[in-house]
Amino acid sequence: MTTALTVAAKPGAGADLLRIVRINEEIKKVVGVAFKINIMALNAIFLAKRAGTAALGFGVLSNELRVFSQDLRTCMTSLTALIHGCVNEVSVVLQDIRYTRLLRAAATLAPDSAAASVLRQREQANEAHAQQLASLRRQLKRALEDAFQMVELGGVLAKSAKIEAAYGQSFAGSLAQVSGEFDGIVEEIRTSLESLRRSAFFTGR
Amino acid sequence: MKTTKTIFQEGSHKWVAIVRDPQRPNYLIDTNEYLVTHGDQGILLDPGGAEVFPAVFSALSAEFDPSALTAIFASHQDPDICSSLALWLEFNPQMRCYISWLWSSFIPHFGGTAETFVPIPDEGMDISLAGLPLQALPAHYLHSSGNFNLYDKVAKILFSGDVGAALLPAGQDGLFVEDFDKHIRHAEGFHRRWMGSNEAKRRWCERVSQLDIDLLCPQHGAIYRGADVQRFINWFDGLQVGIVKA
Repeated sequence: MTTALTVAAKPGAGADLLRIVRINEEIKKVVGVAFKINIMALNAIFLAKRAGTAALGFGVLSNELRVFSQDLRTCMTSLTALIHGCVNEVSVVLQDIRYTRLLRAAATLAPDSAAASVLRQREQANEAHAQQLASLRRQLKRALEDAFQMVELGGVLAKSAKIEAAYGQSFAGSLAQVSGEFDGIVEEIRTSLESLRRSAFFTGR
Repeated sequence: MKTTKTIFQEGSHKWVAIVRDPQRPNYLIDTNEYLVTHGDQGILLDPGGAEVFPAVFSALSAEFDPSALTAIFASHQDPDICSSLALWLEFNPQMRCYISWLWSSFIPHFGGTAETFVPIPDEGMDISLAGLPLQALPAHYLHSSGNFNLYDKVAKILFSGDVGAALLPAGQDGLFVEDFDKHIRHAEGFHRRWMGSNEAKRRWCERVSQLDIDLLCPQHGAIYRGADVQRFINWFDGLQVGIVKA
């Protein structure tokens, strides 16, 4: 059980706030990139249409990439909401720590006063906040894993599109360029998500 | 832990000064808090900053049940006045906080809900403490633009907030002013800089000169009593304020 004693003793709440702010910044970057992917997927679809029968396979993949980019945006929206929840809860825990420290000092100085019972109430509230934060942390970790799996799939699609581009005859050069850019962007997102998974906010290190 | 000194008592009607904390870190300005009790109710005047809460709370608890505090009177909005508000509310969430209307939407940043705050109009108001009449008297621009003193005509005590405050050197921390001329040197710089308006100061001096005051209790420094009260008012009346050497 996490009591006010353990919450107050944790030096990590301030560091957690910093970590969660960094995660938020990284996710904002990924959201921006995900938006770019959506536009790129549209361009790929138009290009495949122009290429006609020479790019049938590429056309199928570009449609899949478009679906992927939309799913990625939805995923990023829910990640952003979770991050905001975490920032709020870490801030509440920081406030708990300060109030608990001051109430504990009051209870020590006035052991026969009402401070002890108010401190107990505060500890119960702290416990609820700590559990809420732990729950949000787990949800965020799961959401990041889901996003990572999705991006792995996006990587496979982009690589397949690169292969299909080779069969694009006179459009092969343009298709290769589009699929190559796609692959680069997906790789960028994957690197970002990989670093987020390693954040001390999740690992506790 | 701070010390409590009863400076007035008549039955359950009591004024308790909560002063001087030897453990206070010297980067925090020293503050005086005052508890007024009557019947089974209590009002805490300028309860102090969050960091001095343990010291104030423990001293107050020795005298009075903190959950029976019905109100807080905040002379103005500064952090050393009432940044401890949220902690006091943990003991009695029904507690009211009297504060200038000017600050009634600023102070909730320290804690409380819409029901907590009783905005004091510019002209002041009467506050009843279990039937004891207290008066919130205007002291605007001394130093805050929405600033009040609290007068108890029964006890003949004026809580004057920052007016009369002195930044006392270590070792000169008696509760009462003993040598006015020596003491006032520690008040002069504070008043010249913190008090912003000579006109507001003149009006305050006129207003409080008409009151019957035995004790003038500031939020910092020592308490003026007897003839030193009028001596302070005269001194303040003659002082040019709102001055900075820059």
